[in-house]
Amino acid sequence: MPDVWELAAIATKFLLYLGVLTSGGLVLCHQAFPDQMSGLERFVRAWAAGFGALAVAMSVLAFSLRGGVLMDDVSGMTDPSILALLWETPPGDALLLRLLGLGVMLVGLAVGGLWLWVAAFGSALAIWSFCEIGHVASKDRLWFQAVLFTHLIVAAFWLGIFLPLQRLSRSSGTLAQAADLGHRFGQIASFTVPFLVVAGVIMTWRLVGSVSAMVGTSYGLMLLTKIGAVAVLLALGAFNKVRLVPALRDGDPTVGPRLAKSISLEWFCVWVILLATAIFTSVLAVPT
Amino acid sequence: MRYKIGLAILMVLVGTSAFAHSKKEGMTPADGAVVETIPESIELRFNDGMRLTKVEMTHADTYAGPLEIGAQSGFVKEFSLPFVPMGPGVYQIEWRGLGSDGHPMNGTFSFEVK
Repeated sequence: MPDVWELAAIATKFLLYLGVLTSGGLVLCHQAFPDQMSGLERFVRAWAAGFGALAVAMSVLAFSLRGGVLMDDVSGMTDPSILALLWETPPGDALLLRLLGLGVMLVGLAVGGLWLWVAAFGSALAIWSFCEIGHVASKDRLWFQAVLFTHLIVAAFWLGIFLPLQRLSRSSGTLAQAADLGHRFGQIASFTVPFLVVAGVIMTWRLVGSVSAMVGTSYGLMLLTKIGAVAVLLALGAFNKVRLVPALRDGDPTVGPRLAKSISLEWFCVWVILLATAIFTSVLAVPT
Repeated sequence: MRYKIGLAILMVLVGTSAFAHSKKEGMTPADGAVVETIPESIELRFNDGMRLTKVEMTHADTYAGPLEIGAQSGFVKEFSLPFVPMGPGVYQIEWRGLGSDGHPMNGTFSFEVK
């Protein structure tokens, strides 16, 4: 049973992943689909800034929690010598890069317009910060960091479409725009999602290493939970692409709410995926 | 299905990857040891660099207190901490530290003094 520090680490990481990936994804989608998301700039900027602020708060809290773990006491979270010690290690490098990226993203979001490209760069930097820490971070494993970055950037892109598409599909006046956006996203996703899956398979192979470890360790079982949720997410995405979005493009007004509901289910899958990831990156040992 | 079987075979063939944090290599007195004389110090050894941040000792479930870890610089693999003798009984040592990869580590071991 995880102790209170581990539970806090899991909750913080879950919200951190949600904040970084959703804010970054919103910006990336807005820049990738300027025509289909016209009129949504303020909406995107507001939500991305909200998730970005959540990511900043969780970045600092996650770092501070490590100090608490080291001292097994709340005082460790603000102990200057402990935090200075942490700052010298990879979590310090990752925090610096993450805050820099999120800061750049928030500035870009605050100004808007062409500065949203600056925000996109900042979000990519924040996403890269996850590649600077943990089991993928090693000087001789640049390719492995690139694999994780590919996995995360595609995941962010997928998350980023949820809110705009859900908003457009809930209003009868914007169903045509929702159909266009869903169609265009589906075209791009059919190219990008395989990269997400292949990158996931490569990381699973490198980190778990054997079928026996996959089914015989807590790490492997948690990874299987994540893979199950990804499978459901892929199925929902495929259903949206081949059934709901085409029906919406044909002008069926009843499909809008169904698409919004399907996206809600996709959100649920994402929460399961992020929670499972937060658990196995926080408290479970990689099989060796 | 064939894809999953292929993946499973690939994973078996490739074998295990080596990713590891700092690990506890050994303690003196050893975990579970029964000793005749009270040790003057306890030693902790790791396979990679570590900075201890907190070490606590419990004696016979009646006393609990910190052990002096002293001033540390850098990440080292071996530590020798002065021991606080409390007489015969079971001593439990709980340690916390930071691995050089930034991963917080912790562990416990115990020994008995006759």
